[in-house]
Amino acid sequence: MALPPIVLILVFVGLPIVTALLYSLGHTGGLNSVTATIAQHQHVATSWWGTLDAYREVLTNARLQRDLALTVTVTVVSTVAVMLVAFGIALYQRLSDSRLAKALAVLAIVPMFIPVVIGSWAILLFYSGTGFVRTALAQIGVEGPVWAYTQTAIIIGSVWTSLPFAVLMISSGVQAVPDAVIEASRDAGASLARTVWSVILPMATVPVIIAATFTAIGVLGSFTVPYFTGPNAPTMLGVDINNYFSSFNQPQQSVVMAFVVFALASVIGAAYVWANFRTAAKAVR
Amino acid sequence: MGRVALRGLLAVAVITLCLFVFGPLLWLASQAFATSWTYPNLLPDGLTTRWWKVVLDDPALGAAVQNSLTFAPLTVLISALVCLPAAYAFARREFPGRRAMLIGLFATNAFPKMGLFATMASLFYALNLMQTVLGILIVHVIGTVVFMTWIPAAAFASVPRSLEEAARDAGAKPLRVFFTVTLPLALPGIAVAAIMSFLASFDEAQGTYLVGAPDYMTMPTQMYSLILNYPPQVAAVFSIMLSVPSVLLLLLVRKHVMGGHLAEGFQIR
Repeated sequence: MALPPIVLILVFVGLPIVTALLYSLGHTGGLNSVTATIAQHQHVATSWWGTLDAYREVLTNARLQRDLALTVTVTVVSTVAVMLVAFGIALYQRLSDSRLAKALAVLAIVPMFIPVVIGSWAILLFYSGTGFVRTALAQIGVEGPVWAYTQTAIIIGSVWTSLPFAVLMISSGVQAVPDAVIEASRDAGASLARTVWSVILPMATVPVIIAATFTAIGVLGSFTVPYFTGPNAPTMLGVDINNYFSSFNQPQQSVVMAFVVFALASVIGAAYVWANFRTAAKAVR
Repeated sequence: MGRVALRGLLAVAVITLCLFVFGPLLWLASQAFATSWTYPNLLPDGLTTRWWKVVLDDPALGAAVQNSLTFAPLTVLISALVCLPAAYAFARREFPGRRAMLIGLFATNAFPKMGLFATMASLFYALNLMQTVLGILIVHVIGTVVFMTWIPAAAFASVPRSLEEAARDAGAKPLRVFFTVTLPLALPGIAVAAIMSFLASFDEAQGTYLVGAPDYMTMPTQMYSLILNYPPQVAAVFSIMLSVPSVLLLLLVRKHVMGGHLAEGFQIR
């Protein structure tokens, strides 16, 4: 019964990834022959296992090094920001029963239901030279910043699109902390900050880690947000993968970059798997 | 004093968050009715519905709307048929490789979509799936497998076994137990999975463009070219149209999505 989705994934995701790996190592036969015949600047395998020349080219390219640095920076900053905001909303919702708290949690979910293309473009216009932020500040005589087409806009867009999932995950974790535990901590004389730090946060660790890993992996490989809101150069690797594939006609380099992103994502993914197995080991099935 | 300061801080935080989330959407929506907009005026130069006519009169955009509204439900249906039996198996059966499969599904999520599409192209050429509806549906379904497997699996797992056993003791056959006890109780979780899948399909652009363009354009793929080639007001009109189905869904299912089904689904057991 479990087989159909696994087979589907193996054929249409697993197989392409394996052929891509072979292609990135310089094997141009088989399924790769169509792509390889029209590709430019290709590194062809020189030994039985292939060659690392394509990886060497990509990783030593000064422009791509800058893009890699930007990708990592945006991912780290966005993930930290998303976690802080989401935890704040979750906490507020847990500690206050007010309608405002509930409304806030619903509000934070809205971006999930707006297509990313629209979200990115809306953010671009909002923070552009003639956008709302500058218009509003101009009313009081202040020259506002232009964030459109900058790294800041990519971070704003990434936070905007990632917030809903993180809020849902973390809220559900924080809601699960029993009232009795929080009250006991307060009765024992712990301050609110202390209760949050040493009672609520430890009990919600797993959902927080899951939210953080999914946010980071999502931002790391993102295309739409940096494509619309970010500068032409430096840009994020997701945009480079697209440019090298469709504009520069260098699919091998594009595939190599995909593996670089995948390697980074795997490191983050390990944290997710670890967090899950830690709870699975404790849980009684 | 401290309490007042805290309240003030809270108010600022709430207003900032509202502006951060809704500001761009409202600003974009107001463009759809503006003749033009001169910086730094807070209001547009004039109001018009002319841009709506431009969009409604363009047959290509109409076709895109139709394609999107066909592909998304089809994707949800196919994805449910393929994934729900697997979700039940993951929840109720212990079999070799179970956990490896769950992690494998997660790993496919970690590979950048753009890189995947770049290499999927050669496979699609080999299988003659380029420029076909089947090819587009495959791209869309692949993007929904994680939701359709994980969330329903958690929903099935949370149905108490004692209820199923009680039904069986009362003489119900396994299939009947499934359809009258297990499935109804797992339905809210499945609904959340279906909605997430619908949104994923409705949002998919790069893969659809690669496989379907120029014969099969959907709303998001059209949106890309609208943003790059039309005045912003036209794209704003199209944005509002593109958001309507999603926002309706949001209003319909808010309670279920907020109820923790989604969060449950993302914890591998």
